[in-house]
Amino acid sequence: MDKPDPTRHVKTRTKKESLSREERQKQLEFQTEAVVHLNSLYNYALHLTMNPSDAEDLVQETYLKAYRFFNSFERGTNCKAWLFKILKNNYINRFRKNSKEPGKVDYDLIKDFYHSIKDVQNDTSEAESDYFHSLLHEEVYQALQSLPEEFKEVIQLCDIDGFTYEEIANMVESPIGTVRSRLYRGRKLLREQLEGYAKKYGINTDNHQ
Amino acid sequence: MNCQKARVLMSAAVDCELSLKEEQGFLLHLSECKECKDEFEEAKKTKMIIKEKIVQFKAPQTLINSIMELTSLSTVEHEDTILFE
Repeated sequence: MDKPDPTRHVKTRTKKESLSREERQKQLEFQTEAVVHLNSLYNYALHLTMNPSDAEDLVQETYLKAYRFFNSFERGTNCKAWLFKILKNNYINRFRKNSKEPGKVDYDLIKDFYHSIKDVQNDTSEAESDYFHSLLHEEVYQALQSLPEEFKEVIQLCDIDGFTYEEIANMVESPIGTVRSRLYRGRKLLREQLEGYAKKYGINTDNHQ
Repeated sequence: MNCQKARVLMSAAVDCELSLKEEQGFLLHLSECKECKDEFEEAKKTKMIIKEKIVQFKAPQTLINSIMELTSLSTVEHEDTILFE
């Protein structure tokens, strides 16, 4: 393709250009600060909605809103946490209104969902025989999804997305002490679930130490 | 420190979120209490299982494109203006 002749648009570098330079700077900052978290946001949305197309909508809406209000993002704080919070609010406003019964777990849905989009990550567990390695991705996923929302949420934010307790406390609008105890109880519940799977398949869950 | 207090600190210990003082007290208790020590090991393992076994999906390319478009639309428009002027 022909390069534009630089002399051609010299005279058009007027007000429009300086205005858009600001806008361009915002775009650049937005891309390095916010767009880099796209995958994490998409996964978070998937966990919340359990539906790839809803998740896409949610992420799109989140970025649209985030871009519009990017000036209110406090520079130097965790942008990922800020985006997660916007997404969560969007989710509540949009999906909870007409949602199914809260707390009801549809295992078939989880299973279908999981299989429908599972294409990444190869399973390295074959040769191993202990409890930890014999667990399948799907079982862990199912166990996590079956936890009450308040536990599932903090585990997701902490173990999968790596937020600090302070960030999580801010996101779930609860004190840090509550985050601590929810994580404690949530992990305990999860462990019981996983041991249930292991027993079902006759795997020894004793701690050989 | 007793077991009850240790349990309150358990998750924060797993996530390295304890203050130095809390951590010292917690570790001291673990050295004296096998039950809490076992539970601590189990909790660490549970976290590892989640980290390793929960698959992170890649966002679909269509979504990536639309987000990129969303945030660079005006740039493109602007460049077009220059080119066609």
